Amino acid sequence: MKARNTFRSSALAAAIAFSLAAAGNAQAAGKTPPPLAPLGDPPVPADNKQSDAKVELGKLLFFDPRIGGDASISCSSCHDPEQGWAWAEDFSRGYPGTVHWRNSQTIINSAYLGKLFWAGSAASLEKQARSAARGGVAGNGESDLMETRMALIPEYRKRFREVFGDEYPLIGNAWRAIAAFERTLVQKDTPIDRYLQGDKAALTDQQKQGMELFNGKANCIACHNGALATDQKYHNIGVPYARRWEEDGLAQITFRFEQYAKGSTEAMYREIKDDAGFYYRTKNKWDKGKFRTPSLRYVMYTAPYMHNGAFYTLEEVIDFYDKGGVDAEDRTTDFPDNKSALIKPLGLSDDEKAALMAFLEAFSGDEITIEKPELPDYAPLFTEQELKEAKK
Amino acid sequence: MRPLIALALALAVPALAGAPAPAQGTGPLQPIDVKPALADLGKRMFYDTRLSGDTTLACASCHQPDKAWTDGEPLSTAYSGAGHFRNTPTLANVGYRGAWMHDGRLGTNLNDVAREMITETYLMNMDMRIMQERLKQDPVYLEMFKKAGYGEPSNGSVRKAIPEYLKTLTSRDAPYDGGKMSASAKNGFEIFKGKGGCAQCHTGPLFSDGTPHNTGVPENFDAFLDPQRHQAFLAYALFMGVENLYNLKRDPGAHVRTHKADGSDMGKFMTPSLRELTSTAPYMHNGMLANLGDVVEFYNQGGGPDSHKSPMIKPLSLSAQEKADLVAFLEALSGAPLTGPEFVWQEAYPDEYPVIENWRQARN
Repeated sequence: MKARNTFRSSALAAAIAFSLAAAGNAQAAGKTPPPLAPLGDPPVPADNKQSDAKVELGKLLFFDPRIGGDASISCSSCHDPEQGWAWAEDFSRGYPGTVHWRNSQTIINSAYLGKLFWAGSAASLEKQARSAARGGVAGNGESDLMETRMALIPEYRKRFREVFGDEYPLIGNAWRAIAAFERTLVQKDTPIDRYLQGDKAALTDQQKQGMELFNGKANCIACHNGALATDQKYHNIGVPYARRWEEDGLAQITFRFEQYAKGSTEAMYREIKDDAGFYYRTKNKWDKGKFRTPSLRYVMYTAPYMHNGAFYTLEEVIDFYDKGGVDAEDRTTDFPDNKSALIKPLGLSDDEKAALMAFLEAFSGDEITIEKPELPDYAPLFTEQELKEAKK
Repeated sequence: MRPLIALALALAVPALAGAPAPAQGTGPLQPIDVKPALADLGKRMFYDTRLSGDTTLACASCHQPDKAWTDGEPLSTAYSGAGHFRNTPTLANVGYRGAWMHDGRLGTNLNDVAREMITETYLMNMDMRIMQERLKQDPVYLEMFKKAGYGEPSNGSVRKAIPEYLKTLTSRDAPYDGGKMSASAKNGFEIFKGKGGCAQCHTGPLFSDGTPHNTGVPENFDAFLDPQRHQAFLAYALFMGVENLYNLKRDPGAHVRTHKADGSDMGKFMTPSLRELTSTAPYMHNGMLANLGDVVEFYNQGGGPDSHKSPMIKPLSLSAQEKADLVAFLEALSGAPLTGPEFVWQEAYPDEYPVIENWRQARN
């Protein structure tokens, strides 16, 4: 009954939105967002089908620090299952000798995202794995060396031959295997899924109140919509610059490196003190400070929040939105001109905030843990006898 | 004045190749004129681990001043998580060379050599854009770059400063140069030029013709049996476009430059300089010969087995005395160690990167 009502009101709103759009005011009105929905199976690209053997191989590689620069840092170093498949500090830990400049995002349900990274710079999980393993403040690995390392691990030679038909492991297939493993790290049996599938007891009354606020007064649904609770679009919501850039020399180094590496004018490099986000991809000034809406799924395990980890609790996040994209110290983005019109003071009562908080919990099921695999050893390709017998 | 000297050197260095060994007592190598502030900057960077990706290695980690800028190991240590497949070459007189690396694949200038060493994944694995920003975070560097005539640290100026320092590493006070050789060494010099045939390749003031030859040095199996060394070797071979690399059981050497289909260029390595040998054991591109006596004996026997060995390498039938004299001569080519503060950075580096205060207002 309730679902039908929601559908009707959505359809009505859509009709209104359409007429406003025709009047040339589409931006202000927005489109009626797709409602929250239960999560289905993740899409699988046609050129990287799932198989048990591929997933098993990907799991090994995900945890293997030899897929990285100095063989000390693996995918799982910054996407630690014990830390929500992310990193529980504001900035991701980064390659040894560096620190990252953005918050590490969870792997859970990344299978559903069309683009990866906070500004959507990777178009697939396969490409994300490659970029992360090679980035200077992430894996800092180099493809040739990572590839030849795998060739010296007999177990990998065997598995790459079975899964991909490689005579010797190819690094591109390592990214495919890792992506296949990540496509198994999904959670679709949360309270919100059960509720939306008809189990009305799956949410408490307080959570249902929170859902009303989510869809109504707080208007979270404007961006956190659909089955993944994200529109996968880029918004400037007013997150302030990271304090750490004022306090940590290592973080200041990375901040400037990123301006340089991601591409900015010299004038911008000299002056900028905040992360311009989506701008680095589009180079449109109106995209400064925009980041892709993150999913709210698994959010109970992925603190801190926002692209720079500005908030360590969801309560702070709710307060931030309640104040209209302003933090407790009245700080906001360095790019206020680009701040979304959707972000406005909400006037939420303490009870309403508590209800929203309770509802956010419904997006997370049990914590997903995993037994870390035992990694296969290196072994020489040749015996000493074979080397002695080689003709020169 | 300086450009003129630089030009003269640029013309002189290639002309050295093929020149016969000079008579003894012709004096030491002429120092290369450098800009002191720039060389000083290069010196600080040479000993700074922050020039490597994970900040564990400096240039000086493998190129140690008290071993004439080698590390005393048969095969070099290399970056964390990898190993090297060749011997660390000395940097003494490195500024007089015309080509670098045991296979001679870098034939331009020290600027390119510095870049290659810093960025190579199994050496220092440094993204130079991060390096540049690290340097900008250290007030000492900001001051030194200014003093050296650069506005602020940049990759380009790093690649000028390190070579400038390297050009100061000129051998001095070798008995050979000063005409102070022992009688045995003098005998050795005659064998060197005559019966030993050494001067066919070890020519000119550096005692190197600057070209690669196959002398039949045996393979160092550690380069293949140690997976960390082998992975670096394979990555190198992969990058250099060597065929059939996973079945390769020898170091291709200068083949990576010429890629002859019949493999006749396999196993050729650059003639090393003979200066500062007393500090640079073990010897050869893969450290397979432990001491100079072994090296002389290796050549006495006509090198090692190799179907593409240079025809210049033949058994020599040297007597024990002749071999000893030859070693005495080789030792007379080493001078005073370059280990004082003039050559070695003395001050400590900061434990962490200082914060730029008032960051919000400061220009990046």
